[in-house]
Amino acid sequence: MFRVDIDSDLCSGFAACVDVAPEIFKLDDSGTATLLVPETDDKRALKAAADCPMAAIAVFDAESGERVV
Amino acid sequence: MSHDPTFWILARASGLTAYVLLTLSVLAGIVVKSRPFGSRVRQVVAIDTHRTFAALGLGALAIHATALVLDKTVRMPVQALFIPGLSSYRPYSVSIGVLTAELIVIVYASFSLRKRIGFKNWRRLHWATYGLFVGGTAHGLLSGTDSRRTWALAIYLGAIASVAAATTWRTLAPLTEGEQDVPSRYRQ
Repeated sequence: MFRVDIDSDLCSGFAACVDVAPEIFKLDDSGTATLLVPETDDKRALKAAADCPMAAIAVFDAESGERVV
Repeated sequence: MSHDPTFWILARASGLTAYVLLTLSVLAGIVVKSRPFGSRVRQVVAIDTHRTFAALGLGALAIHATALVLDKTVRMPVQALFIPGLSSYRPYSVSIGVLTAELIVIVYASFSLRKRIGFKNWRRLHWATYGLFVGGTAHGLLSGTDSRRTWALAIYLGAIASVAAATTWRTLAPLTEGEQDVPSRYRQ
């Protein structure tokens, strides 16, 4: 299980995360990425974090708290 | 009394320095978006590099403008730094430099205003940087008194070739290569 964190100050609305994992991320009215689920076991969250052009997404192992991406 | 060349030398050196630093910022910006080095360059490092080179480039640009006003080799009134066409020295190419510099400041400032102006508008504005690179190159080559020197030509040609190569990469490569940043045990 992964815990996903979005730095909304860094997010610049590229929507790369939404392209990769639309079940986990969406853009709010201002164009900032928000989470649809706080935790997920969907590994696309990892790719979304790695793909973010602003490095605004962090993914942690929900059990250990270790940062994965 | 002999003419003191200090500000003239400073104006030329800072102009070329600004060109090199802003070119590096353009290259780092392309790295941010197209990630040619994959996981070897962390995204946050690429972004910081992009912004740092832009800030340093703007600093060199400010020195360039100030030195031109203080120098007596070419007559450059303060208002000529802001209004195109007021420079009696190579007015057309200096005007290109003035307009390019003003747009560079706008693009730089837009980062802090990106939520207010909207992310899409901010990204659209960022596309102007390709035009600004062309403008900066034209201004340097046509206004610079060192442009015909071999070392100066090498700088311009190196900048043009590197930006052209990076742009070609950006066009041809997939948008992102983020998969390589995902630890192998988590890959799908």
